[in-house]
Amino acid sequence: MTNNNGNYVTIKGTKEGLTIVLNDQCSFHELLEELKKKIEREQRLFENGPQVEVRVDAGNRYLSKSHEEEITEVLNKTGSVRVHEVHSNVMTKGEAQEVIEKATVTSVTQIVRSGQVLRKTGDILIIGDVNPGGVVEATGNIYVIGALKGIARAGTEGESHAVVCASVMIPKQISISDTYFYAPEKHEKQEQKPAIEGPGYAYVTGEEYKAIAFEETKMLGHYLRSVSYT
Amino acid sequence: MVGEAIVITSGKGGVGKTTTSANIGTALALQGQKVCLIDTDIGLRNLDVVMGLENRIIYDLVDAAEGRCKVQQALIRDKRFDCLHLLPAAQTKDKSAVNPEQMQEIVETLRPEYDFILIDCPAGIEQGFKNAVSGADKAIVVTTPDTAAVRDADRIIGLLENEDIEPPKLVVNRVRSDLSREGNVLDVEDVVATLAVDLLGMIVDEEHVLKAAHKGEPIAMNPNSRASLGYRNIARRLLGESVPLMAVEEKKSFFSKMKSLFGIKS
Repeated sequence: MTNNNGNYVTIKGTKEGLTIVLNDQCSFHELLEELKKKIEREQRLFENGPQVEVRVDAGNRYLSKSHEEEITEVLNKTGSVRVHEVHSNVMTKGEAQEVIEKATVTSVTQIVRSGQVLRKTGDILIIGDVNPGGVVEATGNIYVIGALKGIARAGTEGESHAVVCASVMIPKQISISDTYFYAPEKHEKQEQKPAIEGPGYAYVTGEEYKAIAFEETKMLGHYLRSVSYT
Repeated sequence: MVGEAIVITSGKGGVGKTTTSANIGTALALQGQKVCLIDTDIGLRNLDVVMGLENRIIYDLVDAAEGRCKVQQALIRDKRFDCLHLLPAAQTKDKSAVNPEQMQEIVETLRPEYDFILIDCPAGIEQGFKNAVSGADKAIVVTTPDTAAVRDADRIIGLLENEDIEPPKLVVNRVRSDLSREGNVLDVEDVVATLAVDLLGMIVDEEHVLKAAHKGEPIAMNPNSRASLGYRNIARRLLGESVPLMAVEEKKSFFSKMKSLFGIKS
């Protein structure tokens, strides 16, 4: 006989809103049943008020995507509750590997020449130049100790706070997430001018109309700190 | 005697691979080296024309590769030097008529008999390039000081880095000091800075080179030409001598020297 006295699901009010804490020892089936019951019982409570954001805390239970969806569905059905986040302390090895990759900086000592494509998960540090026709792609940031004269694509999986940093900034093209910068057309026989004099970095700016802007490298720390809060 | 096999390549066409091959070969022969030139531009051969040896071809590279003749039988001796030989390309086939293994075999057969084996590579990065590179231990990349040629040279250097070959050396061909001074073309320093490889030599742009190629006589034979001197210096550097780069600037004439002496701007 299962111990079904309403111990599996706890609803807590916190500063940020409601947190639904789920027991991580019982079976998922039992958990879901109780969650449904509890929501039904408390229906009145949820019904009248304005829509509340809830956070679901699954503790040390591993939630697959479909489990997560089931929980979200039960809660969202009430109409007055919106699931803001489903949190779990557990992830698979594969997911952990991905997190590690995204957090690592791969350093490469080479010149990325015309026709070569350097593609990495996480950040890339290139000790050398990126020549015209060469492409560097990273899911995170790109740092070039040398001249960036080719194409750099940072935040290729949608990270719009990524930056492209180079000692000499003469790129043909830069993209960060889905925002693009194209080198200005050359006039007559003049050489292409650097996008910024001296070492600099490119970042995404603007709310409605996004664009890539350049700033001196000494401001990079400030920028990275400012975006880490958002 | 174990010869060095050097491939001469560029990526882009028309920058002077064949002219460079013919002239470095001639300049090395002038130094008394035994040299074999191999033309790998099958279907579009012209090293024989530049050397003025077209009428002597009986067998070619494809015949040698397929065993229709011995490699030695296909070689043509140069008109001017006994120590300079040419293995011509076939004109009737295309690049796929030879594979890298066959090229390696040919180079290995020739290696004991020569000091230098210079392999003239076709333009492009396809089969012909792969064939030419497969037999070589070293590479010379030829470029001209224009953006397109430098871009292709960069691509080629990238491809050569993946091969089992020494880091390539650079020859900048058709250097025009008057144009680069005005900023209309890249200057040699820009080219070397972009490509980040060692500079083996530079050849100034001269009418003599065109005229010599027209006559089927390599410019390296002409002692009065600055381009010829450039090729001879490359040959000496390949032999291990350290030769300073010559100034690109042309010598001022007596008259303009007098003018500058009197402070008249020329």
